[in-house]
Amino acid sequence: MGMSTPIATPDLGEATDLQATPLEPWEVVVWNDPVNLMGYVARVFRTYFGYSAEQATTLMLAVHNDGHAIVATGPRETMEVHAQAMHDYGLWATVRKAPQ
Amino acid sequence: MTDAVIRLPLAVVEGIHLAGLVEEFTDVLAGSDGEPDPGLSRLTPDPYPEDAEASAEFAAATHDDLLDRRTADAAVVRNGLTPFLTIAAEDLAEDDALARQDVVIPASDIDAWLRTLTALRLVIATRLDITAEDDEHDLEDPRFGVYDWLGFRLDGLIALADAHDEYSAH
Repeated sequence: MGMSTPIATPDLGEATDLQATPLEPWEVVVWNDPVNLMGYVARVFRTYFGYSAEQATTLMLAVHNDGHAIVATGPRETMEVHAQAMHDYGLWATVRKAPQ
Repeated sequence: MTDAVIRLPLAVVEGIHLAGLVEEFTDVLAGSDGEPDPGLSRLTPDPYPEDAEASAEFAAATHDDLLDRRTADAAVVRNGLTPFLTIAAEDLAEDDALARQDVVIPASDIDAWLRTLTALRLVIATRLDITAEDDEHDLEDPRFGVYDWLGFRLDGLIALADAHDEYSAH
């Protein structure tokens, strides 16, 4: 970059509201536990998130075999609502910032 | 289909026992303001294990509501088990104790049932310190029997609920 004057000077007075920057994605992770039944976990994914039976089973198996699975991605507040619902169902869910 | 129901097959003695467990669970939930029952910690997991501040904020905002919803769920189940509440197990002849008495669960109540049976198993598992799927079950400890029995009935109820959903979808 040279030292030349920029063609357009951004108006710093406006449009720099940091609150309005695009939302960073967060995710809900469900972790494996030795108590919850596999059919139950698949059912919760299907009935709560609306996944197809096949998708729900794939996610459940990921939890079971890999120890965890990402079941939802989106704004933090929404993810916290989902995590609460998972806790209601007795599933072990955490919320974290999605890796960029 | 608002009048759809799911029938959970139980022996009378099972119904009595389950009603007792749900009562006890309700007491554990109600007493959670005093001495925290370690079994309850598994029912209110920490969503931010690596961020103590976010964790505390989340707990402050949600903990009581979560226990209130659990209490409401347990009340639904207790209601469904009302016929068993007035039977004294020790007065029953063996034939009567083992007689089948289905619990009729409105389809709209099924989540409350599944969540409550799951929560009961989680509390028992915490007390038994079950930490792996292949943990040895101490046959001398009757709580393992209760835990396995609840798992058996819950598994059956899940299958019935799934079959009901599939049937309703057609």
